[in-house]
Amino acid sequence: MQLHVLIVDDSPAMRSFIRRVLELSGLEVGRCLEASNGEEALRLLEDNWVDAVLTDINMPQMDGEELLRRMSGHEVLHLIPVLVVSTDRTEGRIQKMFTLGAKGYVTKPFAPETLREELEHSLGVVHGTE
Amino acid sequence: MEPNEIQTALAAAVEEVLETMCFTTVLASAEGAVPPEGDGSAPALNAELHFQGNPSGGFRVGVPMKLARVVGAGFLGREETELSDSQAGEVVCELANMICGTVLSRLESKATFQITHPELTPPEHSVSFEGAGAKRWFDLGEGILTVSLELQQTV
Repeated sequence: MQLHVLIVDDSPAMRSFIRRVLELSGLEVGRCLEASNGEEALRLLEDNWVDAVLTDINMPQMDGEELLRRMSGHEVLHLIPVLVVSTDRTEGRIQKMFTLGAKGYVTKPFAPETLREELEHSLGVVHGTE
Repeated sequence: MEPNEIQTALAAAVEEVLETMCFTTVLASAEGAVPPEGDGSAPALNAELHFQGNPSGGFRVGVPMKLARVVGAGFLGREETELSDSQAGEVVCELANMICGTVLSRLESKATFQITHPELTPPEHSVSFEGAGAKRWFDLGEGILTVSLELQQTV
C-alpha cells in the first residue's frame, strides 16, 4: 500500500531532505505534498487525504503547534497521525506537542533510519487503536 | 557557563549535524574565527539567527561558496553542479538552525528558546556580536566553516 504524506517546513532544503529520506527508506511513498507553514498545510488537507503529516514547529504565519491544535479539533483531520520534526529538544516542548496530539517526535539532526522508525511507530499507533 | 563548555558544545553540535545530515566529516577544528594558516578572507555566505530565552543571543555560520555547494550536495543528495546559489544558501540557513538548536540544548537542556528564522547576511552587513560567547572554525577539507555564538547577560 502506498503511503501519502504531507511535509510541512518553511525550509525548502529540509523539505527536500525529508522527501529524499522517505524515498530511500524502503517505504512505498505515493503522493508527497509540501507546505511551508500550517496555513498552507490546512489548505492542502481540505482537498487531499494523506496517511501522515510531518511538521516542523517554528514556522511563519502558522506554526506547528497551531497546526496540531487545528487538526486535533477537526472532525476528520484528527485521524491523520502527525510526526513532529524539530530542532527543539526541550522536554517541555516535546511534552506539549504530544499533549496537542502528536504521535511522534524526531529532533534534527536525525539519522534517516530514525525518521523511518518514528514514522512507522506513528502509523502503528493509529492502526493499532482505530 | 564556562568558555570550555561552550567550545565543547559547539564542536560536538557541528560534527553531529554535518555527519548525520550532510555525510561530511570534520578534519580539524579549534577555537577562533579563522585557522592560523587561513587567508583571512570573509566567508561568502553567512547565515545568521537570534534566539530568545535564558540566555538570549545570536548565532552565525559562515562558509565559502565552494564549501556551501559541497555541504548542500551532501544534504540534498545531488551533484554540486546541480545546485543553484539559492539552494546552497537554503542549506546553510538550515545548518545554522540545526547547529544552534543542538548547541542550545546541550548547554541548557531544560530551557526553552524561541529561535528566529535564519537569514543570509552579506559579510559586510553582519552585525558584530558584542556579548560573551565563542567562535570556532572547522576544516572540512573543501574549505573552512566558521561558527559564532553570542550569549547576552540575563538579569
